[in-house]
Amino acid sequence: MKEIVIISGKGGTGKTSITASFACLGGKDVIVADCDVDAADMHLLMQPDWKKSEDFYSGVLAEIDQEKCIKCGKCADVCRWDAIPVIDNEYIVQPLDCEGCGYCALVCPADAISMDEQNVGKWFLSNVKTGTKMVHAKLGIGAENSGKLVAKVKSEAKALAEKNNKQIILVDGSPGIGCPVVSSLSGASYVVLVTEPSVAGIHDLKRVYELVKKFGIKAGCIINKADINLEKTKDIHAFLKTENIDLISEIPYDENFTKAMTQGKTIVEFDNGKIKQILEDSWKKIKYL
Amino acid sequence: MKILLTAKGTEWDSKMDPRFGRTEFFFIYDEETKKVDTYDNRAIANEAHGAGPKTAQKMSEYNVDILITGNGPGGNAASVVKQTGIKVFVGAGEMTVKEAYEAYKSGELK
Repeated sequence: MKEIVIISGKGGTGKTSITASFACLGGKDVIVADCDVDAADMHLLMQPDWKKSEDFYSGVLAEIDQEKCIKCGKCADVCRWDAIPVIDNEYIVQPLDCEGCGYCALVCPADAISMDEQNVGKWFLSNVKTGTKMVHAKLGIGAENSGKLVAKVKSEAKALAEKNNKQIILVDGSPGIGCPVVSSLSGASYVVLVTEPSVAGIHDLKRVYELVKKFGIKAGCIINKADINLEKTKDIHAFLKTENIDLISEIPYDENFTKAMTQGKTIVEFDNGKIKQILEDSWKKIKYL
Repeated sequence: MKILLTAKGTEWDSKMDPRFGRTEFFFIYDEETKKVDTYDNRAIANEAHGAGPKTAQKMSEYNVDILITGNGPGGNAASVVKQTGIKVFVGAGEMTVKEAYEAYKSGELK
């Protein structure tokens, strides 16, 4: 079984548009996993039926039992986040400021503070329009993605692939280089880096590739909007060559990407010309690697 | 040599776990004494963040010389493992524990 993870480092490079296109081209052969859950949007293109959903718990927040509280103020003294102000003569934890470190609970002499697991969102198992299944998640307001949630989404996708005898798991990876990305990459068989020829695009490509390198995973690169800055595209070529990264394809800037998106379609369903051809060729390359 | 493999179970026939930080089990084989030791790491699934460094720290308690896994360790776990001086071999994610050990012995893993 192959696990193909698509990441970009920088947002707005077209990662999800391209991943959803591959999901369309892969059709029934792939299981789709959306691990970009901070602001999940792949469902807009895949039209899931939200068939099964389960609550997701992650992280803890402090809560003070006012009955037990002796108002000594030790919790507020040690809180690095100043998350325990006195309101109407009661010590109250501010949930948006609390980082869940547990220092307050440790020093509380009255044992009045509990650290409670938080319901931060839901994860879903859906049937999607391409005739296959997708595992995805939605976080509540202010909740953050975590390695834990990504690991959960990926392990559900893997179990599905095993059960339905599918050979490919297509993962829309998380942005940045932090914990969720580490979790997206862990266990992957191939990484597709989607970038664009801009200063931030190249910077973040290099940054995220440092992480890919540590994992020792083979990587390929798609340069999206390759014609908007030819000089920067050349810089990307040079970087790929030094690092021995495959150049999978270059996609020219095309407003059909946005037009397709506004209709809830992927570019391969909307465009019948050049872009579709490039993405089909790219998918073939990735699929047979 | 004492070798630690990331595994989905506790037998030689168990599948390897391709992940390092969130691996389900450690399968530890001591080549001198021919003894196998295992550690259940499944509680790591409850950690929201920092799974890699935690697992690396646990691993350091076993005084192993070699780590065999699928890919990784990445990010912070990589720097912890570097400090311990443990040699890392990757590319065994799709094998069984036995196959991974044999592949390591025959020099097939990098």
